[in-house]
Amino acid sequence: MNNWFKSGSPWIWLTGGAVSISLISVIGLLALIAWRGLSFFWPSEVVQLEIEKAGIKSTVIGEIYDREQVPTSRILATGVDLGDYKEEFIDRLLVKTGNREFVELDFRWILTTDIKSQSIPQDMAVFERSKNGNFYGYVEKVIENGQAHTSGKIEKLEVLVDRAVSLNDEALDLQNGAIGHINYELERARLKQRAYELDGELTQERIQEYEQFKAEQKDKYDVLEAELFKLRDEAKRDQVIVKDMRGEMVTIPLYQVLDFTFPNNMSFFAKLGQYFVQLGKFVSDDPREANTEGGVFPAIFGTVFMVMLMAVIVTPFGVVAAIYLHEYAAKNAATKMIRIAVINLAGVPSIVYGVFGLGFFVYMLGGSLDQLFYPEALPGPTFGTPGVMWSALTLAILTLPVVIVSTEEGLSRIPSSIRQGSLALGATKFETLWRIIVPMASPAIMTGLILAVARAAGEVAPLMLVGVVKMAPTLPLDGNFPFMHLDRKFMHLGFHIYDVGFQSPNVEAARPLVYATAFLLVSVIIALNITAIGVRNHLREKFKVLEH
Amino acid sequence: MITVAPKVSNSTSGLKLDLENLMPEQTALEIKNLDLFYGEKQALSNINMKIPKGQVTAFIGPSGCGKSTLLRCINRMNDLVDICRIEGEIQLHGENIYDKKVDVASLRRNVGMVFQRPNPFPKSIYENIVYGLRLQGIKDKRRLDEVVEKSLRSAAIWDEVKDRLHDSAFGLSGGQQQRLVIARSIAIEPEVLLLDEPTSALDPISTLVIEELIGDLKDKFTVVIVTHNMQQAARVSDQTAFMYMGELIEYSDTNTLFTTPAKKKTEDYITGRYG
Repeated sequence: MNNWFKSGSPWIWLTGGAVSISLISVIGLLALIAWRGLSFFWPSEVVQLEIEKAGIKSTVIGEIYDREQVPTSRILATGVDLGDYKEEFIDRLLVKTGNREFVELDFRWILTTDIKSQSIPQDMAVFERSKNGNFYGYVEKVIENGQAHTSGKIEKLEVLVDRAVSLNDEALDLQNGAIGHINYELERARLKQRAYELDGELTQERIQEYEQFKAEQKDKYDVLEAELFKLRDEAKRDQVIVKDMRGEMVTIPLYQVLDFTFPNNMSFFAKLGQYFVQLGKFVSDDPREANTEGGVFPAIFGTVFMVMLMAVIVTPFGVVAAIYLHEYAAKNAATKMIRIAVINLAGVPSIVYGVFGLGFFVYMLGGSLDQLFYPEALPGPTFGTPGVMWSALTLAILTLPVVIVSTEEGLSRIPSSIRQGSLALGATKFETLWRIIVPMASPAIMTGLILAVARAAGEVAPLMLVGVVKMAPTLPLDGNFPFMHLDRKFMHLGFHIYDVGFQSPNVEAARPLVYATAFLLVSVIIALNITAIGVRNHLREKFKVLEH
Repeated sequence: MITVAPKVSNSTSGLKLDLENLMPEQTALEIKNLDLFYGEKQALSNINMKIPKGQVTAFIGPSGCGKSTLLRCINRMNDLVDICRIEGEIQLHGENIYDKKVDVASLRRNVGMVFQRPNPFPKSIYENIVYGLRLQGIKDKRRLDEVVEKSLRSAAIWDEVKDRLHDSAFGLSGGQQQRLVIARSIAIEPEVLLLDEPTSALDPISTLVIEELIGDLKDKFTVVIVTHNMQQAARVSDQTAFMYMGELIEYSDTNTLFTTPAKKKTEDYITGRYG
């Protein structure tokens, strides 16, 4: 025993064990959110349940989401009559019934004892709608332009849904593209006019010019608006009549239908195809219905955009600060104090940075900017309100210590012989830094940036104060001059998780989305990091220091 | 021990120079009453010497005698050490290099230096050579190409690297790297070239190549070399200065110093009684 202890094996076991536990927890975490998040998109079977409860028969159609065992006593305590059921536990199913406008809750628990029979009808249709979530039922009739079709209705429906979807897309493009552009130009012209007014330079000529511009844009707008209404009316032309679980005929206008499938009648490969279609929609669509349906594209875009903006801000500041601290600052107590202060900055809770960002950046800096450069928009704020630039700046200060510390470390690892070699060739200290030292320290700078990005992409708390919103109507980057709108608010995956998970009106519907979004956030951070690590490895290879 | 036949001293050493009364046009550097302190500790005391133009001058002495420190004074490398304080003068062209008016960077362009360990930059061979020229703002590609070839030829490494000028300098062997660094130093055509134990990190064959190279370099440059290897000093130098405990003990032409040293300390050192 004593020998075994002396041999050092216990230490190896201890350290190895610690590594294994860390690895298992990380992999377990990733596997859990990946499984929960990704399985959501698999088209699951829709079951038809015949239920008899207290003598009343009913039919429930829906997807089985969950199954759990509850103590019978608990069910009895709620006043449910279980008849002669004597077991200690009872099974119950969580069923998503959809058809939100006709039921109180689209998720319901059903006791297995109430289920009399269960079937998987082949012709069960699932409609994905832009309003009120999914609809489950049997397709009875397809109405094309007021004319009902019963034969070949599925093929007909496919054609008509495609038509409605493309008309909707066209209308949306028109609305966000050309019409949005006109509104944007009108607003700019109004602000320009207001600026002239404030400067006292508003001449008759300018007023006329403005009025003329307005009239021109109005004409254009009217044409486009007529076009938009025409597209919308066109899209409203057709309907489908579906028999739902109550046995009633429900008319669904096709302009609300995004897609329809027959999941019970799908082969494995058809399901696989549908799976990727759904996954694609999740990452590329806008959210719908208070973020409980649809995709998360604006949140992905906002996260990546904000993090990149932050990286662009934090890198030069951090590198320059580190160069000063390491190369120019006198090596005395004051420098040491500054260095300690910088390191301690990393330990300040992130919400404190949020409060600072709101008070300093948004109100003070932003308010001053508005008064100086955007007085024409006042009292409406331009930069004096939370926005993507202030978020990026706030996170830049939050991550500044990381960049400074790793850059300094990189600078101190460069052998002095290289510096002296450059100086001996007649280079000044600045030239040596610029041409030799900073390029050689670039892998360390990248390391700092990787850590900064990892921290910033996952940070939510400060962003809630300085720019993130639940739903942003426009992206911070679009086709309207000046293309990059740093004053706009944005969506963020981290905040989206919080919002969908905890602020949602429909918790059950949102839960899989929470996992999916969490998985996406992790993927985005990993993707950003892998890119940065790739760059760093390339730089390391290029600037590898002499090994003596 | 290196078993290389001592190189027969060439032309100039036949003609003995009077080191005490060197004419100004024969003098590359003049060191006057130089004292150097590291904090409280005096590392060099009252050094006076004239280094002749176009010759190889060697500094020898036991470890810690101040020979490298003296060498680093000549291109003001000691400026990098915060606690270092220098009194006295070193004159280049009759001007004190420690004068306030002197621009250190341009001084170092005139006085190049090669260090103990090869220190190529993490760039291509070509970029290493043109580094000093780029600092001077020279961008003309033809001019740079010419200088690269000329310097590499002068450093006797052209044939080995001409086909891979744009590969990393780290791919070269230690001896090749050291010759590359010498080529880098002579690319900017300094007047004086300081070599600080240039072969101490190299194998015997590379050492031989570099020693031969030093002999060729003195046609164009004044070379000052620090070495802890007395055979090397005897082989490559025209003048030798022996230093001990921060003082210049004896300074004369190499033959005299090694055959008939004037001072007892010098004799003890070259006969191996200490060091």
